[in-house]
This record gives sequence, structure tokens and C-alpha cells, in this order.
Amino acid sequence: MEILMNNLAPHAERQHWIGVLARARRSELQPHEAALRDVEYQLIRAPEIGMTLVRGRMGGNGAPFNVGEMSVTRCVVRLADGRTGYSYLAGRDKVHAELAALADAHLQGTQQRHWLDAVITPLAKAQAERRAQKEADTAATKVEFFTLVRGEN
Amino acid sequence: MSAQLLQPAFTDPVLEAQRSFRAALKAFAGPGLIQTLHATPSLEGLAPATYALCLALLDVDTPLWLAPSFDTPLIRANLAFHCGCPLTANREDARFALLTAEDLLDLSGFDPGNDRYPDQSCTLLVQLPSLDGGAGLAWRGPGIETEHGVALPMAEGFWREREQRNEFPRGLDLLFAAGQDLIGLPRSTRIAQERV
Repeated sequence: MEILMNNLAPHAERQHWIGVLARARRSELQPHEAALRDVEYQLIRAPEIGMTLVRGRMGGNGAPFNVGEMSVTRCVVRLADGRTGYSYLAGRDKVHAELAALADAHLQGTQQRHWLDAVITPLAKAQAERRAQKEADTAATKVEFFTLVRGEN
Repeated sequence: MSAQLLQPAFTDPVLEAQRSFRAALKAFAGPGLIQTLHATPSLEGLAPATYALCLALLDVDTPLWLAPSFDTPLIRANLAFHCGCPLTANREDARFALLTAEDLLDLSGFDPGNDRYPDQSCTLLVQLPSLDGGAGLAWRGPGIETEHGVALPMAEGFWREREQRNEFPRGLDLLFAAGQDLIGLPRSTRIAQERV
């Protein structure tokens, strides 16, 4: 169990920051651009745009069906010390993909705490706020449907 | 971690993959003529032409059989990353195989296709030290006007092996690569000893 926890925990953490980086806006990452690029690195997979098929299940448990295709940008970088950073994000923003991959690589290093505090936490906070705002806006338009008792016994 | 071993592949993936595919196509269309690929990446153990063919031809639908001498962590990691091709230990399941000259003496197990779908055969990618310097042979057949003199440096036994597995339309197609050059040998090419 302990081994499992040790293996799972870093993955969950990395999943979290990769997700945050993918959902961030490019304008939010750009202030960190100089710091992110201030390292020797090479592009293992230069930023490239492709498509992926999105599948869904009706209500989350029905038979899977194809929702449609969406554009995805991905990138892989490697720092001089061998750490590799990956990014996959929705849309066609190559600069964003490269910055996100660099951030992933930095976050796996010894300076992890610094990068988490400087980049991931503020981004996650901004995203949570945006989401809460959106949910509040949506909730205001919510309509409750109900059926009056009809007179047929 | 295999991530440590990854290296960049094509600098322009689309164009360079298309160029490599075109070179392979021309190599099969004109058996025995050398096609040259310019400025392709290389990997330790794989010549630039061999690696370019792998990058252009392999994907998730093409199980690859690796000869033991190519079966290094570096090659495995990079092929898995850039091509996404599954590696198979069974020759029967392979759509492509990566071989050296020594492996040519035993071609058993590779799928020669069947009479209905001869195109489903396994294509062999063979890396040679050079495309010259062996016994001179005359190649004849489709795509060759009269004959091409080719002197691939390989053991004689290969031609017998090939002959045994060549029951038209079934058979094995081969691409020979050395450095940045490649030569195609489709199943339809006939071989005769060159008269000196």
C-alpha cells in the first residue's frame, strides 16, 4: 500500500499541474516566459497542432459515442540535465504549448516548491475564480421545470 | 526512465516524412537505383536513412520486429515516442522488421501475405554498412528497363532464402539502407548472376 501511495502521489500532483498549465491562458503564462526559458533546453517534439477525437457517454454511463474532433497542440522539451516536460492543450497556441512543457520540466526539478508557488498556485486560484464566476452566472439562468397535477386522476 | 533517452527526430515532421516516403516509393518503383535522403536525423545504432524510413513508415498500426542488435533501450524509447509503433517479438505479427545483414540468412516467420491480400506482407528494412562492394548481380523485372547492376554486400544465402519465400503474388519486399542512401528490392525483381 505504501509503495502504491508513493507511486500514485507524484503522478496525481503532476496531473494536477499539467492540467492547470493546459487550462491557463497564454497571457497568464507570458509573465513567466523569461524565467521559464532561462535554461538550456531542446525541443524533443517541437510544438505541433493536430486533432483528436473526443468521445463521450450520455449521462456519463451510456454507450460511448463520438462527440467530434477538436484541435490539440502538444510539445515535449528536454532540459540539459535530462528532465523532460510534456504538454497537451486544447487549441492551436504553440507558444503556450512550449511554455507549459517548460513549466512541467521545471516543476520536476529541485526548485519544485518555488515553481508551484510562483506559477501553479496563482493559476489554479485564477481558474477556480473563473469557474466559480461562470457557475454563478449560469446558476442565475437556471429554470426549474415542474408539471402541475393534471386532472386525469 | 526512458524519457532520458529521447532525442529530437525530424525538424519538419510533415515535409521530411513525406520526402522519406517518396524516396521509399521511388526505391520500390526503380529497384536497384540508389535514392538519397538529405539531412535526416540519426540515432546511435541506426543510420540516417534507416531512421528516416522508420519515422516515415511506422505508426500505431504497424507492429515492428527488431533484430537483437537493434534492440537497445535508446532505439526502443525513441521509436515508441516518435512512431508510437508496437514492438513485437513474434515475426508472424510484424508488419515491418528492422534487420542487419547477418539476419538475412534466416527470413523464416515473416509474413509473405496471402493470395488474396499479398500487400499485407511484412516489409523488411535492412541496414547495411554500404550499398556497394558485394558480388555483382544483374537485377531485372518491373521498373527496370533492361537490367541494373547492383553489388549489395550480403551473404549468398540470402538470395536462396528470398527465393524460397517468393511465391508470386506472395513474397517479401526489402529496403536496404546505408548512411543516407537506400535501395529497394520488391518481390517482383528477378536476380541473375552478372557475367564478368
